Amino acid sequence: MGCMNSKSVRKFPAREDSLDLAAETAFTVNEVEALFVLFRSISNSIVNDGLLSKEEFQLAIFKNKKKDNIFANRIFDLFDVKKLGVVDFEDFVRSLNVFHPNASLKDKIAFSFRLYDLHNTGFIERPEVKEMLIALLFESDMKLADDVIETILDKTFVEADLKQDGKIDTEEWETFVKRNPSVLKIMTLPYLRDITISFPSFIFNSTNVERVDETSTRL
Amino acid sequence: MDNKATILMQKYEVGHFLGQGNFAKVYHARNLKTGQSVAIKVFNKESVIKVGMKEQLKREISLMRLVRHPNIVQLHEVMASKTKIYFAMEMVKGGELFYKVSRGRLREDVARKYFQQLIDAVGHCHSRGVCHRDLKPENLLVDENGDLKVTDFGLSALVESRENDGLLHTICGTPAYVAPEVIKKKGYDGAKADIWSCGVILFVLLAGFLPFNDKNLMQMYKKIIKADFKFPHWFSSDVKMLLYRILDPNPKTRIGIAKIVQSRWFRKGYVQLEAFQLPPLSPRNAKDISDVQAAFASSSDSDSDGSPMSNKEDSPMKLYRFNAFDLISISSGFDLSGLFEDNQNGRQLARFTTRKPPSTIVSMLEEIAQIDGRFKILKKNGVVRLEEYKAGINGQLTIDAEIFEVTSSFHVVEVTKIAGNTLEYWKFWDQYLKPSLNEMVWVWQRYEQQQ
Repeated sequence: MGCMNSKSVRKFPAREDSLDLAAETAFTVNEVEALFVLFRSISNSIVNDGLLSKEEFQLAIFKNKKKDNIFANRIFDLFDVKKLGVVDFEDFVRSLNVFHPNASLKDKIAFSFRLYDLHNTGFIERPEVKEMLIALLFESDMKLADDVIETILDKTFVEADLKQDGKIDTEEWETFVKRNPSVLKIMTLPYLRDITISFPSFIFNSTNVERVDETSTRL
Repeated sequence: MDNKATILMQKYEVGHFLGQGNFAKVYHARNLKTGQSVAIKVFNKESVIKVGMKEQLKREISLMRLVRHPNIVQLHEVMASKTKIYFAMEMVKGGELFYKVSRGRLREDVARKYFQQLIDAVGHCHSRGVCHRDLKPENLLVDENGDLKVTDFGLSALVESRENDGLLHTICGTPAYVAPEVIKKKGYDGAKADIWSCGVILFVLLAGFLPFNDKNLMQMYKKIIKADFKFPHWFSSDVKMLLYRILDPNPKTRIGIAKIVQSRWFRKGYVQLEAFQLPPLSPRNAKDISDVQAAFASSSDSDSDGSPMSNKEDSPMKLYRFNAFDLISISSGFDLSGLFEDNQNGRQLARFTTRKPPSTIVSMLEEIAQIDGRFKILKKNGVVRLEEYKAGINGQLTIDAEIFEVTSSFHVVEVTKIAGNTLEYWKFWDQYLKPSLNEMVWVWQRYEQQQ
């Protein structure tokens, strides 16, 4: 893996890598390059290794070294496709792709299901949802009585758990989400539409080779 | 090869040459996916780096993102290859205002409309801390609808050569639009300098010639510094009054945007921006816009009939009921927008939880709206909208508050500015909204601080 390390610390993605990532995502080559500008700044904020750690991810979201947040951790775990404890640029781009406004609803539903399947059981189970609900209340410094929490969970599972077996499977989740689209609100980042304007310094490092350069006298 | 269409980034079909500036060539192009016409501005990368404009170009791209406005030419996208940089800009098909004026002065009502749109655009940018610094008719375009578009906002440095001799030079080689304090080079406020330039532009539109002009550059500078100009006999007294206050050589006493907008000459025929169509007053989970609009129309009809809708006690609000996942998703840990640091263009969002009943929240909002009779209240299900009666600079301030039920005794409220001036919103927020809401709040879950 020495090869991967040296690859990760390189100053700018090679043309072939940008082309590959652009081909398999909603991003253009230039948008991939702009995302690299973002990735480089956040992934080197604590350790200058060209890889994004959980601490660096939290720092990027919250702008301070907060104590652990169960929700940011969960997103990071899903970005960490190779389960190495760090995220490389390729997985960062592929994972961020699902948040693009043009990403398919199907992909957003699938990702959100895995997001809430906290213990990777293949289902969204009531204890998992309760754990997340309590974490949210704790994070917000709110206190609700246990019976109120159970009431919220009861109401939710009556609507979502159509088979009434105490857990939500992927089919039930799709049905629930289509009836309550606001649940997918967190799955779309409008910023990703303007990524080249948000991180413009890629323009001076771009390795993109366009057909237009063959007719450079034209433009 | 000659007949082969040039396709840029597999996205744009590039057409005919439109023109050339100091660093860029401009072409007409068409977005292959949407059919939209754009102007592609092409920079040679080496040239940009050679003249030392690298950091400036990057900063100014970022500025363009801050200043989205219907009267400002929009930057859609930035692209690059190994050797070139491309801007996909909004295509403005009408031509330069400079060309219109070079054929003679404009009618007063036409000049006023252009000036109103110019002030709208400049005020919008100043409210975001962005100045143009190179306002002149050559940077003002007119689209096919006859509306003004300010161009090169934030890109003026590319047209100037400040480094070589420290003086501003425009393409025409005359700094006739530059404010006195800029000439004195003792440091200046960009916003006040922009206002002066707007005044010179207004003079030119109405007169057909420059207020300060001399073949000798130093003589012209002296005239500018002393605000030595004469009004043509056909200028009306109202516009003279306004121009005296704009072309005030002392930036400290020069009129500001807010006062310009209030002046009698400016107000005539002033219409608020149509491009800022307010989103429909719809609860969060509304599935179809047309259905919502139909429902809203019918509820309006009910209101006008003096139906029970007018009595709030007889029409309990139908709130969206938060499920567990809605509640969990308000965690800031699920909000990745922090990765994209600059959030100024985002909606202004405040969120809190409350133990008070919804009717108390609504009553409090109604009281706030009544202060100075400033806002009209619209209500639909869980949404309460405060819509300013009087259009200020940058349009009507419009605020939505949406109430969500979690349990019968626990609600979540989101307050969002959806239109109008950001600074005005923060002023209103600090002075009236937050103090009143504080009485309702159990926990502030989130609100954005003014930057």
